[in-house]
Amino acid sequence: MTDTHAPENADASTCPHCGMAFPTETIRDLHVGRSHRDAMRDGERDAYEDAYHEDADDLRLFQYKALGALVLVYFFFLITYAVAA
Amino acid sequence: MSGRLRAVTGTAAVVSALVAFTGTALAHSGGLSGAAPDRLAVPTWLFLFTGGGVVGASFLLASFATDRAFIDHVHELGRRVRVPGSALAWLGRLVGLGGLLLVVVSGFFGPTAPMESAAIVVVWAGWWAGYAMTTYLVGNTWPAVDPFRTLARPLGDGVREYPERLGAWPSVAFLLVLVYVEVTSPLADDPRVLAAVALAYLAVALAGSAAFGVTDWFERVDPISRIFRLYGAVAPITRTDDGLRLRLPGAGLVDDLLADRSEVGFVVALVWATTFDGLTSTPVWTDLAESVVPAGVPAPVLYAGALVGGYLVFLGVYRASARLARRTAPTYRTAADIARLFAPSLLAIAAAYHLAHYLTYFLALSPLLVHALVTPLTVGTVPSLTIPGWLQAIPVVSVLVGHLLAIWVAHSIAFETFPSRIQALRSQYAVTLVMVLYTMTSLWIVTQPELPTPYV
Repeated sequence: MTDTHAPENADASTCPHCGMAFPTETIRDLHVGRSHRDAMRDGERDAYEDAYHEDADDLRLFQYKALGALVLVYFFFLITYAVAA
Repeated sequence: MSGRLRAVTGTAAVVSALVAFTGTALAHSGGLSGAAPDRLAVPTWLFLFTGGGVVGASFLLASFATDRAFIDHVHELGRRVRVPGSALAWLGRLVGLGGLLLVVVSGFFGPTAPMESAAIVVVWAGWWAGYAMTTYLVGNTWPAVDPFRTLARPLGDGVREYPERLGAWPSVAFLLVLVYVEVTSPLADDPRVLAAVALAYLAVALAGSAAFGVTDWFERVDPISRIFRLYGAVAPITRTDDGLRLRLPGAGLVDDLLADRSEVGFVVALVWATTFDGLTSTPVWTDLAESVVPAGVPAPVLYAGALVGGYLVFLGVYRASARLARRTAPTYRTAADIARLFAPSLLAIAAAYHLAHYLTYFLALSPLLVHALVTPLTVGTVPSLTIPGWLQAIPVVSVLVGHLLAIWVAHSIAFETFPSRIQALRSQYAVTLVMVLYTMTSLWIVTQPELPTPYV
């Protein structure tokens, strides 16, 4: 079950296979590759691969930030415990 | 001090804070116990931040698991087992009916002191502590055991259709009424009241089944059945059309568990009920009641108002988190749909708090429970079970595992739902924040000294 509600004036990218709306073209291309893998055309396959790599780059950046945040959380508690407890 | 040593002491401090938390959590177990909580070794604010930090850090750790195939694989681990279903169902019905009979007979005709009454011990230690644990640790057997359903079974399909548009809201209202009765009446201390409430519950179940049919009443309205069904989704054993299926704990939460927003309302009500129960015995609540009740607000109004008002706040915060997730992801899925998808992850936390709350309580009272089951109507002295010190670690582990499970479930649901992996991670910001806040609220409640509920 998927309820979607795209804003009226949004430049929504819609899926050519099922008509579902997505906020960005990258997400739309990823959806096509994941949900309509067998029905993909060549152009869509290339778009999917590009989107997948773009997503992977975003993901790697996110993970670096997460690692940094973990280190911060760890030292925050380490120092706070040293001072307060 | 070397860096390594400092790291070790830091970790030890976090662990000891959590150990201190369970020390106080144990004091919070319903009507049969009430020791004052121990002093914490660290300031309360730091203790609360530690709890919140653990949950937040587990979200950051989960962000390193982004392989969809791996996530799916984890949830599909399991096997099927065949069992003699109907024989077990009959056994369950007999046990349930026997339990209800014992509670009513012992409640009306047995001893009245709480610790001597078989009705009190069987309901609170046996059923609400011990049996409820089996529903999320093993599997939901309540549909077979439920004595109310067994007695209502001959009533069949009822005389009218259950109104679809009401969804689970009547169930939410019924749950809040039960919580109100539990908090404001001597249900945990007075066997006569307990037996009367059990009979009243039976009467309501029979009337409801006669009106809407047994299946609709117990699948849609009856709050106890719904609680155990939701707890059962956490459990490793589930019933399928061809026998039992063994799966990893929490794997059932990833399935599309909730049908609509009213069922989300019930999950939030379940989470709020635990919080409200604890909140009404904190000093803050006593202060509030002592300033408001003499000023002319009747105590029942205060309790009912706080119960409903607090529920609406919890529901509002959760829904706001779904709207926020819609923007951070970003996605065009409706906020109601996002709320529905992520709500099952809260159940892992609810089950973990139940276990942390009741495990040692159950074990300590288990000799009393055995005594109550074999000689329900006589008074006698029973040796209490000495709880070994290392068992104190189990509640800590359960709270931690519950939160990790909740974060993992939200993570898996997001990866199942959203096409982009970074979008899946970003969609979890709000629900992680809600979990962190909820952890800190719960930890704050358990660090407060437990006072008797005022004006009831």
